[in-house]
Amino acid sequence: MEKPVHAASDAGAPGIQTRHAAIPAEPRAASEELVPVMQQILENPFLLLFLGVAIPTVVYIVWGVMEIAGIPIAK
Amino acid sequence: MSAIMPPAQRVWWKQPLDRAEGAWILIAFAWCMVMFFMMPYWHVYGKQNLSSETYRTTPEQFAKKAQAMVDQHTVRVETEQKIPVVKPPVGSDVYLIARLWQWWPMLELEQGKSYRLHLTAMDYQHGFSLQPENINIQVIPGYEHVVTVTPNRAGTYAILCNEFCGIGHHTMVSRLYVK
Repeated sequence: MEKPVHAASDAGAPGIQTRHAAIPAEPRAASEELVPVMQQILENPFLLLFLGVAIPTVVYIVWGVMEIAGIPIAK
Repeated sequence: MSAIMPPAQRVWWKQPLDRAEGAWILIAFAWCMVMFFMMPYWHVYGKQNLSSETYRTTPEQFAKKAQAMVDQHTVRVETEQKIPVVKPPVGSDVYLIARLWQWWPMLELEQGKSYRLHLTAMDYQHGFSLQPENINIQVIPGYEHVVTVTPNRAGTYAILCNEFCGIGHHTMVSRLYVK
């Protein structure tokens, strides 16, 4: 899994060692841990973008509807 | 520096929080709290965004109350449109109707005294803008806004409609007298 220190792709950045965890093509080995759900969520930028828009939108609309529904009738 | 490099292990969820990252989270959260509590603070101390009571009403229901006030407290009539000038009792409910394209009636209030001002629209959305003060309230059909007003300076004020309501919107201007 470890790449050599000066791989071709690192030509522009000598001295920097990068270790990318390759996504295994084979089924998960028994010794590897399952990725926790929270980590999966925080690692998915498009999911985070969707939640960042959808959750405030829903809360805003629901709050607004509740507020309007609660307006009393004039005497 | 490890906060900005990729995590050393695939599963980083259980790793202890790095000091730099923890510090950034704390700073961002502290600023969120400052901005959040500024909102009610400025609402109270910055004299912005009038608190208002709101009720559901109908044009007929409101017009009846406005007409009753006009019948009892009219002092004179002004303008070509013959709009009654009403001098309501101190502390009472004052009704102001917004409709295409006038404010009805005109009001004459006393300096230093409080009134409960009720606002509604008969047809479309209008805007109540008291000039030259910084008081602006949306006036919406079907809803009645109630604002407690205490004029603290005598004079003649203008009431403009600042929500576009049609071809005569720019003529929807009235006067408010404070004696």
